[in-house]
Amino acid sequence: MTAHAQSYQDPGTPEEQSRRQFLANATLAIGGVIGLVVAVPCAISLIPESLIRPNAAGGPVWTPLSSTELKALESSTDTPVKININFKYQDGYLPPADDSQFVWGVKLTPQQVANFQTSRPDLFKPSGKVKYPAVTMNFVIFSSICPHLGCKYNWDTGAKRFICPCHGSQFNVEGEKLAGPAPRGLDPLPFREKDGKAEITWIQYKSQTPDRIIVAYS
Amino acid sequence: MTFLINWLEQRTGLPTQIKTFLTEDVPGGPSYWYVFGSATLFAMILQYVTGIFLTFYYAPSSATAWESTKYIYDHVPLGWFVMSLHYWGATAMIALLFMHLLQVLIWGAYKAPREIMWVVGVLLLVFTLVLGLTGYLLPWDMNAYFASQVAINIASSVPIVGEPTQQFLSGGAGMGTLTINRFFGLHVWLMPALLVLLVVGHLVIFRHNGSAGPPVDTDLKKLPQGRFWPNQMFMDAFASFLVFIVMIVLSIVVPPPLDQKADPTQTFIAYPAWYFLALYGMLRIAGGAPDSVVTIANLLATVVIPGGLVTLLILLPWIDRNPSRSLRRRPWILGLTAISVVGAVGLSVYSQLAIVKEQAAAGQTKPAAAPAAPASSGNPSKNGAKVFGTNCASCHGTAGQGTPGVFPPLAGNPDVTGDPSKIVQIVLDGSNNMPMTVNGANYKGIMPAWKGTLSNTDVADVLTYIRSSWGNKATPVSAADVAKVAK
Repeated sequence: MTAHAQSYQDPGTPEEQSRRQFLANATLAIGGVIGLVVAVPCAISLIPESLIRPNAAGGPVWTPLSSTELKALESSTDTPVKININFKYQDGYLPPADDSQFVWGVKLTPQQVANFQTSRPDLFKPSGKVKYPAVTMNFVIFSSICPHLGCKYNWDTGAKRFICPCHGSQFNVEGEKLAGPAPRGLDPLPFREKDGKAEITWIQYKSQTPDRIIVAYS
Repeated sequence: MTFLINWLEQRTGLPTQIKTFLTEDVPGGPSYWYVFGSATLFAMILQYVTGIFLTFYYAPSSATAWESTKYIYDHVPLGWFVMSLHYWGATAMIALLFMHLLQVLIWGAYKAPREIMWVVGVLLLVFTLVLGLTGYLLPWDMNAYFASQVAINIASSVPIVGEPTQQFLSGGAGMGTLTINRFFGLHVWLMPALLVLLVVGHLVIFRHNGSAGPPVDTDLKKLPQGRFWPNQMFMDAFASFLVFIVMIVLSIVVPPPLDQKADPTQTFIAYPAWYFLALYGMLRIAGGAPDSVVTIANLLATVVIPGGLVTLLILLPWIDRNPSRSLRRRPWILGLTAISVVGAVGLSVYSQLAIVKEQAAAGQTKPAAAPAAPASSGNPSKNGAKVFGTNCASCHGTAGQGTPGVFPPLAGNPDVTGDPSKIVQIVLDGSNNMPMTVNGANYKGIMPAWKGTLSNTDVADVLTYIRSSWGNKATPVSAADVAKVAK
């Protein structure tokens, strides 16, 4: 290392050695300070806005169902109905734009309504409880997101159950988990009738947990 | 030439440094067994070059990611070829990296004094897989969206760091523009930068230790020595050239698929890249575990086993204390390696077969190769595809496959491909709550009336689209045709 550098041949006086040690430490300290001043804001900038200002994205929004879809839901018998809902959504820095999701609407028989607490015990545990009636006017509306890993499940008419095509979770018409890796049953969404119109609130729950944790509203 | 080299030497010392770098003994002589590392490096350089060109057009946001990818395919001169090379380059890089790692493992070249070089190599594999994962989302098509959604949610299941990782990757509450931005930053800046650092480190350590040579216990210095330059270098270049030829052929013959734009209102059977099929297989098997243990099985499949394998690989030089490199004296390591490889291949085949079976059952067709998109024999308008995606696909399916018993299929539906006035009537007025029978099957779903919601042009465009997609071959429908029925 020192073969081509004459200044390193002579170790110098103790004062010079001490001075050099100080300069070496000071150089490292300067580098450390610069690194910290850059790294801290960079790291903080990566925290999602939804964590810093949870209310910035707004709260629940009621979205009306179209008359056609309400009619389809009312006239359904033993088959769940796929319902499209439209709402305004701001995606990151893009201007708010129309967005849509779909939900599954199920018309329950009076017997099913009466048995709901038994068939869906997960909804009545403190950890899985929702802060709204899961069944409204004999209807239950399920989020279309599989609680396992976030895929969209489908209703299988032959098997008479909801089946997620990604990893095979299965749920009965009341949303109870029958098989597969999902940690909980299907998530019911708020549903109400107001001024003669049926309305739904879109809620995204956290995947992969037995508890129902709200991640976002529409 | 000599003058130029001398001139450069006096001012930079570069010729001597290059000569020193290339002057290296190869114990046992040059061999094609040693080409995997250099071929991987070649594939990596190709990824950097093609990736840089793609960033000239690619725009990372939910409103532009898919559109800019499609633009590269459809409008940029030879853009589809650059994109194809990038796609197949990723496959080549990962496949060669696996082979390189496997060869080092089998030959025992991870043993002292090459432990750190081995660790750097394992980290290179991990970061390359992250590079593949982050690149998977960028086209923002259906599979990109749903496969990445699954990957992000899997990341959340890692204890302690899972939650922050998920939030960092998604950039917000759900998947969207900020997610694409995060993945883009990781894919284009952070991971490539880390890879460069690791590759430089790998090469510096390689030059320090020299080639490990063949798996023998004799002193490497007693073996006949060959020259790295030009003998081994030629073999490296020739192997890289062969890899390049294969990539060119694949890029032309099998260009990468681009599905429809990501649409969360659809159900879609997501499929992972081939190098994650084994993990996907474990996840599927875990899903079939009894309810009482399914959560633990999931954690095993997504976190414990993959994480354990990587940790095991990193610690291998310290776990395997057998000083011998001879293949005959290392039956345990070689046996475990063989079992792992057979297991990974078996799981991958199992996953692929399961995915194909489920896609076929759901009527989900493979996306067309992007340069030939959209998947039709006719020339459906872009507006038709857009109107379909927004209003029709949620019931009739992205591939027009319908929903059994509820919404009829559009693919192979004689009402769709027959007299256009009939299908125009159905779209304008809906099904009037009447069940429909298509190809002998009954469908009870209700078709809404689109009159007043869609313009005549939109109806014409979407009908032209569905009449010429998914194997349907029927004449286009004009706005005038729609207007006639609408009167």
